[in-house]
Amino acid sequence: MRQVAIIGAGMIPFGRRDEDSLLDMLAYASLNALDDAGMGKKGVDAVYVANMGAGILQHQTSVASALVDRLSLMPAAADAIENGPASGASAIKNGLLAVASGYYNYVLVAGGEKMREVVGWKATDFVATMTHPEVEYPYGVTLPGMAGMFTRLYMEKYGLTRDQLIAVAIKNQKMGALNPYAHVEMIITKEGIADSPDSVVNNPMAADPLHLYDMCPVSDGAAAVILCPLELAKKVSKKTPVWVAGFGQATDTHTLQEREDPTDLKAVTLASKQAFDMAKLTPKDVDFAELHDAFTILEIAESEHAGFFKKGEGGKAVEKGATSLGGKLPINMSGGLKARGHPVGATGVAQVVDVVFQLRHELGKDRQVKGAKTGFTLNFGGFGNNVVAFILKRAE
Amino acid sequence: MIDELNITAYRCKKCGRIHYPFHDRCLDCLGRDFEEIRPEGDAKLLAFTEIYNLPWGFDVRTLKIGVVEFSNHVKAMGQIHIDGFNKLKTGMKLKAFWEPIRKHAGDDVFGLVLR
Repeated sequence: MRQVAIIGAGMIPFGRRDEDSLLDMLAYASLNALDDAGMGKKGVDAVYVANMGAGILQHQTSVASALVDRLSLMPAAADAIENGPASGASAIKNGLLAVASGYYNYVLVAGGEKMREVVGWKATDFVATMTHPEVEYPYGVTLPGMAGMFTRLYMEKYGLTRDQLIAVAIKNQKMGALNPYAHVEMIITKEGIADSPDSVVNNPMAADPLHLYDMCPVSDGAAAVILCPLELAKKVSKKTPVWVAGFGQATDTHTLQEREDPTDLKAVTLASKQAFDMAKLTPKDVDFAELHDAFTILEIAESEHAGFFKKGEGGKAVEKGATSLGGKLPINMSGGLKARGHPVGATGVAQVVDVVFQLRHELGKDRQVKGAKTGFTLNFGGFGNNVVAFILKRAE
Repeated sequence: MIDELNITAYRCKKCGRIHYPFHDRCLDCLGRDFEEIRPEGDAKLLAFTEIYNLPWGFDVRTLKIGVVEFSNHVKAMGQIHIDGFNKLKTGMKLKAFWEPIRKHAGDDVFGLVLR
């Protein structure tokens, strides 16, 4: 297999983008990535588009074919990838395999979702369609509901505290406020969301024991990357190449109830281990991570299951600042899903874009991990039933 | 009331693992032969939450959702219909009923209700 580089990375600001269609957003992000790669008028061999809900939310299908047409990239091959909230990383993985195999040289991977054009209950219902259609969905369970049940079990088993969840929210919204692409650019305090009398109004319960500020926002957005063989990267792009040192993907049971231990995110552990084994690295070799914090609990649980902290230690690490900039392992210096936002099809691609920016040392001092050489991403589908991990390295 | 629950679980004839919902192959041994079983005995509450932002199809302010394990180890999700969320504790016993859980096209949809 050939080593694969990411020579272009592009994103558009996430948030509520009433003026743009899904295809607009995918096109803008793709053009940003093509320009970032210095591709000029050069075409690509294939396009992979990550999207979860256009068929439901926009009544639109075949978005990959539409994007190729929009960008005049014909006759490039085009495929749409739907893997729930892990669609983005799944699409990159498929592009990566296509380049690694030697079949394609230049691949565009774009992920996008437009979720804000429907009312809240419809967006909630759309996301809930990934639950089991017979034994979960009819009861009205939502993904926040799944996370609420998981959080209570985690608290009971590992002593996780509400203060630790709050620390994740405060950290990630602080970083989001520094990220020009973030949906949420508001700094929050513990007083405002937990300690003051107003906090009951500011931060109402969403899915007990999780509150509003434990949740990521519902967002519109898109992100894109350009892949090519590492050996060609320096011929095309003047920027420092970033390459994929390892990746992994694993699945788990569809329903939480069939897991022997519902607090055990086996797919996170397995996908991460695959990535580390392929890269011949350990969690200690990683300089920073972008984890799938759709809910604050997930950042903590994923950091433990990926091997960065022992079980029960991830929450304490956040409180001690170990996951903040300058800490042992900065996590979600983009603001994460919590603040950058979570347009579901875009998220896995956006995580990789953020890691590329970090590894190219392009960010300001307030977000740049000093001397970053190795980054880790984890894209979490369903409630942990389909997980994709990447380890990216700066090519020196 | 448990006799009336319209829940069919599947016990692998080879290794005994219980499945709900149905799988074509056993999660443990990949066996393909299953015995149909019904939930029996008390329902022990394994996990629960109260959801405040509801999806389409519910005309209530909040929903209490739980996962229970019956005495014969069938595990299932259901709606919890009690007043007072704070009364719920992991491990407590609940009674199971088969009752309306939502409306669809004007008709009642039945499912597992726990009290």
